[in-house]
Amino acid sequence: MLEIKNMLVFYENAIAVNDLSFTVNEGDIIGIFGSNGAGKTTLMNTISGITLHVKQRMQREGGQHISIYGEQIFQGEDISNKMPHYRVKKGIVLSRERHPVFRDLTVEDNLILGGFLIKDKQIIKESLALIYEIFPALTRLKKRKAGFCSGGEQEMISIGMALAANPKLLLMDEPLLGLSPTAQDQVVQALSAIQKLGLTILLTEQYARPIMPYITYGYIIENGSLIMSGTREELMQNEEVLSAYFGVNK
Amino acid sequence: MKIKKGYRKERLDRGIKARVDDVFAISSYREIMYLAMPRTLFIIFLLLLPLSGSITGPYWQGVIIITCIIALLTLSWTFMYSVGLISLGHAVFFGIGAYIAGWLSSSLNLSPLITIPLAALSGAVLGALLLYPVLRLRGIYFALITFALPLFMMRLIEATGCLGGTAGLSGLHAFPSRLFASYLVIFVLLFVLFGYLKIMDSDFGLVLRAIRDSDLSVHAAGINVPLFKAQALFIGALPATFAGAFLTHYYRFVGMTAFALEYSIFPITSAVIGGTGLFPGAVLGAFILTPLSESLRAFGTLRIAIYSLLLVLFIVRLPEGLFSFIQKKYFQFERWVPLERKDDNAK
Repeated sequence: MLEIKNMLVFYENAIAVNDLSFTVNEGDIIGIFGSNGAGKTTLMNTISGITLHVKQRMQREGGQHISIYGEQIFQGEDISNKMPHYRVKKGIVLSRERHPVFRDLTVEDNLILGGFLIKDKQIIKESLALIYEIFPALTRLKKRKAGFCSGGEQEMISIGMALAANPKLLLMDEPLLGLSPTAQDQVVQALSAIQKLGLTILLTEQYARPIMPYITYGYIIENGSLIMSGTREELMQNEEVLSAYFGVNK
Repeated sequence: MKIKKGYRKERLDRGIKARVDDVFAISSYREIMYLAMPRTLFIIFLLLLPLSGSITGPYWQGVIIITCIIALLTLSWTFMYSVGLISLGHAVFFGIGAYIAGWLSSSLNLSPLITIPLAALSGAVLGALLLYPVLRLRGIYFALITFALPLFMMRLIEATGCLGGTAGLSGLHAFPSRLFASYLVIFVLLFVLFGYLKIMDSDFGLVLRAIRDSDLSVHAAGINVPLFKAQALFIGALPATFAGAFLTHYYRFVGMTAFALEYSIFPITSAVIGGTGLFPGAVLGAFILTPLSESLRAFGTLRIAIYSLLLVLFIVRLPEGLFSFIQKKYFQFERWVPLERKDDNAK
C-alpha cells in the first residue's frame, strides 16, 4: 500500500531520517518504535507531506534548510512531491503528536472540521456516528470546547479528526504520549476497532508494551536508521528490544 | 556509500568564524579584522557623514539628521519588541519628549543642552508611568492601547489648547551649529546601539528576552515580570524621547505633528526591512528607508505608492530581514555536497 524507498531527511546539516526503507501492506497495524530524537516524528511528517510544506516555506524565507530524498509510493503512485492536502485526499491522514485540537471549537466542530474535504454531508454524519461508537467517551462531550477536555479526550478528538477525513492509511504520531494508563487503554482498544473498519495504521511510540499485542509488524529505528524489524514474536524475543522498549531488565 | 545520484546543500560556518568564536584563538590581524571590521567601518562611515556637507549640500545634511532620528526610534521600538511589547504608537514617546523640551525651552528659557537630557529622562519616566497600568496586557491588546495613545495626546492638546494648542510652540532655542547637531545625534545613536547590544547580553537582558518567549515561565521562576517590563519600557523609551526633544530644538518648533502617525509607522517598517528584533538591523533599515523615501520625493504623490510596493517586495522576498541575510552570508557559506548515508550515525 505504502512503500518508502531510501528516505533521507536533513535539517540543515543534521540528519533526521537516514536511508529508511519499508513497506506497509493493506490491513496492517505497523508500529515504529524509537527513543527521543530517533526520527519518528520527522518520518510521520514526511509521509504526510508536512515536512515538504515546511521545506517550501523555509525556502521562501531564504535558503534551503530541509532536504528530502527518496521515493514515497502510495498505491502505485509516486507522491514524493505532493503537498499534504493532496495526500489527505488520497487517503493518508496524520493524527499529530501531542494531540493538537482547535481549542475554541466544540468537540463536534473539531470532528466536522476533520472531514472538511468530504463534500457529502451524509458521509460525514455516518463517520461522526462511527467515531462516537469507537470513542463512547466523546458522546457526552459533544458540545464542550475542545480546550477544556483532558489530554486523553483530546487525543481521542485528534484521532477522531483524522478518521473523519475518511483515511485509507491512518498515521498516528505517539498516540499514547502523556496519557494515563486508563486513557492509554481506551486509545489502544480503539486501534483494533479502527483496524476492523478496514483501515491500515502506521503508528509511532516510545514505549512499546501497550501497543505490542495489536501490531502485525514492527520496526525499531535509532538515530534515523532502521536497526531492526520483525513480527511481534521476533521483536519480543530480542533482549535488547525488551529492555529498551518494554522496560524489562534481565 | 552513495545511495542515490544527487546532492544536497550544506551550510557551514566559515573557517575564520569558527576560529574566532573561540576567544583564545584570535591570533592574527586577519581574524581581528574579521570580527571588528564591520562595526568599525560603520562607525567611521557615520562619523564622516556630517563632513560631506560640501558635496551633498544642506538638504541632504538635514536628511542625515532625520535618518538618525528614525534610526533612534527604530532602536527604541526594537528594544520594546525584544521584551514582547509591540508598540504601534511610538509617536507617543516621541511627542512627549518633544513637548517637554519645548515647554522647558519656551517657559524656563533653558538651553538645548539642559532641556534635551531633562526631556529625555522625564519623558521616558512619564511614558513608562503612562503605560504601567496596561503592562499586564500582551500582544495585540498592548499594541492597540499604544496605538490609541498618540491620538489621545494629540486631541488633548488640540481641545484644551495647552502647550500652544494647534499653533504649537515656536521660536525655541537652536543648536550652536548644524555640525554640532549632527555629531550629537550620531554619537547618541552609536551609544544607544552598542549600549542596547550590551544590555541584551547582560543578565538583565536575559530576563527581558525570556519575557518575550514566555512570560508565564518567567513568573514561575519567581521574577516580578511587570517590574522588569516597566524598566524595559523606561530604557526603551529613552531614545524615542531624546529623538523628540532633539528634533524640537532642531526645528525650533514643536506642534501637534510630533504625535503624527509617521513617527509610529517608520520605526516598524525600518525594523521589518532591517530584520525584526535585531539592533544593527534596525539601524540598517532606517538608513535605507529614510533616504529612499526622501529621494522618491521627485515622483510627487507616486512616492508613497513606490515606497509601499518596495515594502511589500521586501516582506515577501526577504522576511528574515536584510541584516540577517547579510550576516548569514558573512558568517557562513553554502556548497553542494554529494548525498551520502551517514554510517557513523548508525549503531
